Amino acid sequence: MQEIYDEIRSDFRYDHELNGCLNCGICTATCPSAQFYDYSPREIVQLLWTANVEQIYDAMQEKIWACAQCMTCAARCPFKNSPGGLVMIMREVAIKHGMQSAKDVLRPFGRVMLKLITTGNQLSPDMIQPDHFPDWGPNIQKVEGDLKTLRKAIPVKTLQTVETAWEVSLKTSIEMYTIWEMTGVMNSLETMDENLFDVIEDFIDEKRDDYEDWLEEQEDDD
Amino acid sequence: MSNQIPGDENTGGIAGHGSFFQDANLSAEEATRATDWVRKHVDRRTIDLGERMDDIREHMWELEKEGEIIVHRITDEHEPINVKTLFGWDKKVPTKQLWHHKSCGQCGNIPGYPASLMWFMNKFNFEPGKDYLDETDQTSCTAWNYHGSGIGNVESLAAVFLRNFHQAYVSGKQHGHELGHFFPLVHCGTSFGNYKEIRKYLVESAELREKVKKILGKLGRLVDGKLVIPEEIIHYSEWVHVMRNRIASELQTIDVSNIRVTMHAACHYYKMVHEDAIYDPTVLGGNRTAVGSSVAQALGSQLIDYSTWYDCCGFGFRHIISEREFTRSFTMDRKIRVAKEEAQADVMLGIDTGCITTMDKNQWIGRAHEQNFSVPIMADVQFAALACGADPFKIVQLQWHASPCEELVEKMGISWTEAKKNFEAYLKEVEAGNIEYLYNPELALGGRA
Ligand code: SF4
Ligand code: SF4
Repeated sequence: MQEIYDEIRSDFRYDHELNGCLNCGICTATCPSAQFYDYSPREIVQLLWTANVEQIYDAMQEKIWACAQCMTCAARCPFKNSPGGLVMIMREVAIKHGMQSAKDVLRPFGRVMLKLITTGNQLSPDMIQPDHFPDWGPNIQKVEGDLKTLRKAIPVKTLQTVETAWEVSLKTSIEMYTIWEMTGVMNSLETMDENLFDVIEDFIDEKRDDYEDWLEEQEDDD
Repeated sequence: MSNQIPGDENTGGIAGHGSFFQDANLSAEEATRATDWVRKHVDRRTIDLGERMDDIREHMWELEKEGEIIVHRITDEHEPINVKTLFGWDKKVPTKQLWHHKSCGQCGNIPGYPASLMWFMNKFNFEPGKDYLDETDQTSCTAWNYHGSGIGNVESLAAVFLRNFHQAYVSGKQHGHELGHFFPLVHCGTSFGNYKEIRKYLVESAELREKVKKILGKLGRLVDGKLVIPEEIIHYSEWVHVMRNRIASELQTIDVSNIRVTMHAACHYYKMVHEDAIYDPTVLGGNRTAVGSSVAQALGSQLIDYSTWYDCCGFGFRHIISEREFTRSFTMDRKIRVAKEEAQADVMLGIDTGCITTMDKNQWIGRAHEQNFSVPIMADVQFAALACGADPFKIVQLQWHASPCEELVEKMGISWTEAKKNFEAYLKEVEAGNIEYLYNPELALGGRA
């Protein structure tokens, strides 16, 4: 527990986001999540400020995931604190330690992560379909038609795709994988969800092979 | 002249306070001097920023002098227009030679957003490949995922930022221009907030710079061994803001004076690194961030304020995927209902993907909770394009919106049914391979592989 707290405190953003706290509650007053959850940014700041290690750990089990990351708190705090920013540090630490709360929260995010890590895009037209979002109603599109044709009717060439938001060049994707690996994102992913990690690794290997082939083709052409 | 407010004579105090508040009886000159002092210290535009709030751009110049980084400059060629930020700082907004930094949410979900923007650039006779560039060599900023799930970290966000902006810096080469010819124009509010935050960390932390330098070096994305950081981070709505009068005077064809507009400014536009958001005294008295509202005003629509303007939309990054009850309750209760009941809005305008998606898609389910309110939602640039005669389907792409855009379009004097018929005929053409583009599609693929 102490280790977790120390890790939060040693993040280089920590001093940037927490300067002290008046306990004034302005952050909580305008926090959207405080209206719907048993959650208060003031409480988060106070916990960190007063170094209540056990309660910090408890908050990381659930509460920190309520924050909507709107940063209203940061814009309003008279002490220039950023409770939302502190929450982000806590979330990162929760992931690093493979905390159960993080695992639970991440599960429904799997599709977004798969998309993100393999394509460098986070959202694609094939994800925004009525069967994925039944509560969005039956008429997500006002015109009948097959998704591919509807996308081709967008007058921007890069957008005529279905599986990515825009067409991403192979080289760009490969660069992205290097970033994920070198910054430890792949490691966090492995800690959190081994299955997803395996699927993504296979995908990356395949794309890297494609890229190698493409490079060879280019050389042959020269 | 006395400062005393009529009706307060009996108490000898200033209205609203007890009698211990006495009129200071200052002369006009003294009063000005006194309020000047207050303004200087308290007015939010000149607020004492303290050490932590100094202008990050000044540190960038220092770092450049020390040979640490290269600053991607906005030059006269970018034909910049100066605006004021929240703290009264100048911000240069380039109007030309722009590198479209697309948004995964917009392109995947609200494609009329980037299409309308490029349509405007063409209307101003911008030459693709010279005055603007859209290409495949870019990734999303990855910040939605980061704020939603916590997967990712400052280092990965910084590497992505520097990778994309390096590409913007060198992209002109391929088209026969100098380095730095194209300046990045960020489409997404989340990317905009995230990039500004990350830029701050990069400038402040030598350790972070050191770490990402290794990555950028490996990617071959250093220039003379240095990181490239742009002079300003520019959001597309800032481009619309500085172009608004030209849009209204040169391109507007439809009278929108009967349209009641409410505005939702994205949190990550003006609450994150808030010192950099644009405020303009001519837009809602400078009490709200100017972008979005300003173009609605310039077009002559009725811009209506409403009490929950400061609230977020309920997107929540994570919540829109896995905690939808929060998202839809918040958006219906705090935004849609208020816009409808208080402002009787014909439309709600946004400047960011997440907000527009949230408020657009979550109206239908409201009926299940006896919240039968609906308001069309779109981006400022889509509304402006409609007012300038753009096709509601082919360009503004309203067919992807779940909210009731039909009524708004009709109220603007455009026939929805007619436009839909034309579009359906066009879909047949598309199937036959006759596709219309806003510009030479080959240019967009210039960065392939
Ligand atoms: S960032 Fe989080 S804590 Fe801050 S106001 Fe928004 S939801 Fe509340
Ligand atoms: S607004 Fe700032 S000072 Fe006030 S309670 Fe919240 S964190 Fe503390």
